[in-house]
Amino acid sequence: MAQRSLPPTDREDEDELRDESLSLWRIAFSPIIWAAHFLLCYAGAAIWCARVGPTQGTAFLRLSVLALTLIALGLIGWVGWRALQQWRPEASTADRLHHPENRHHFLGHAAVLLSLISVVGVIYVALPALFIGTCQ
Amino acid sequence: MLRKAISPRFLRSPACLLLVLPLAACDGRQSVLNAAGQDSRQLLYLFIVMLAGAVVLWLGLNGLFLYVTRLRPQALKIHNVNWFLFGAGVLFPSVVIGALLAWGLSIMPAQRAAGDGLRIAVHAEEWWWRVEYWPKGATTPIVSANEIRFPAGSRSELHLSADTYIHSLWIPALGGKMDMIPGRTTVLTLHPDLEGFYRGQCAELCGASHALMAFQAVVMAPDDFARWLKDQAASAPPPTSPAATRGEALFRDEGCGACHTVRGTEFVGAVGPDLTHFASRGTLGAGNWQPTAENLMAWIAHADDLKPDVAMPAYDWLDPDQLADLAAYLKGLT
Repeated sequence: MAQRSLPPTDREDEDELRDESLSLWRIAFSPIIWAAHFLLCYAGAAIWCARVGPTQGTAFLRLSVLALTLIALGLIGWVGWRALQQWRPEASTADRLHHPENRHHFLGHAAVLLSLISVVGVIYVALPALFIGTCQ
Repeated sequence: MLRKAISPRFLRSPACLLLVLPLAACDGRQSVLNAAGQDSRQLLYLFIVMLAGAVVLWLGLNGLFLYVTRLRPQALKIHNVNWFLFGAGVLFPSVVIGALLAWGLSIMPAQRAAGDGLRIAVHAEEWWWRVEYWPKGATTPIVSANEIRFPAGSRSELHLSADTYIHSLWIPALGGKMDMIPGRTTVLTLHPDLEGFYRGQCAELCGASHALMAFQAVVMAPDDFARWLKDQAASAPPPTSPAATRGEALFRDEGCGACHTVRGTEFVGAVGPDLTHFASRGTLGAGNWQPTAENLMAWIAHADDLKPDVAMPAYDWLDPDQLADLAAYLKGLT
């Protein structure tokens, strides 16, 4: 493939986009984990209660929800921790987003906030399993 | 003085109407504020705590607003503002909503707790309620309709199902709602403890007569309930007056028995409500009218005018004497 000659600024943008692609993914990681946890818990509970719940009880189901919740919280915590390091609140100035470095920090900031709300979402999704003792 | 204080203009205004509207909810027969059972009392408590919390939050929010705009209108340090926004805008609501969610979820299992013996199967029809009582150990049900009676002081299980549409059973004075879904059985258990007459209502828009799909709920002392249930299990009493006897003949000739059951007679139809002990019920047309002779005559002659889309045809060719005889027969089904 022939190397296209780009004006200097466009080439810089392309380089930055390549470097930032992981940051862009990191923004989406926590909500994706939240969504996967939600789907697994609800679909799992629906199938369990339709097939075996009335005879087998719900102990296995509730433990599974607990395990999925711990895994999800651990993964979101890890993503959030990495994002926090990227954010570096003490060095960030959100009002100067035309600097690539600040854009890098801003993506970390956004990922931290999304991780926080994902933690809350995952806990709310798991709460019913803590209280509901039967499939009724 | 009162006439001076309230101007005629205000009385004619829409605002006045809005003030008067909530008064309609003050009839305790169908009010969550008139809790008459364990489950409704728990829900009322939840409501009052949330209402009080909402008032405190509202006052706090407006107090802060007043503080920063009127009392101390000055620039705040960005660092403090950020922490305040995080604390009051993220942390506090998450914890409060989380706590309310946990509390709400924790009281749900009690409302599905196993009953103490009596099972009542309620099947929603268009637009009335088929009711079967299954006392402990029963092999055949005691069939009734459009009225649900409970013994006070014990937990009864309601097994709910529906014919064609989704309905929802709600007796606000006794507990929460539960959907009634065709092809499925949902379970609601209620523990009423105050004797009295209450009103239930379909709480899921189901069709033309959804608003007229109601019933009377009666909570009785356990001994009274046992006696009443024994009476309900018996066959219908035979007609005792000439008018009622003529009414029974009309009931046969007009084909009423093809849809309605009157146990102990040849009438065994199962399309409409069981009428074996119709006169022992407090309402006509599923919780809507007093079962007087005049109302019965109007209902038989023009059921579809009173209740849109009802399956019962209008017997408007019967003359008033015939309608009165039919009413006399039905009033004798005690």
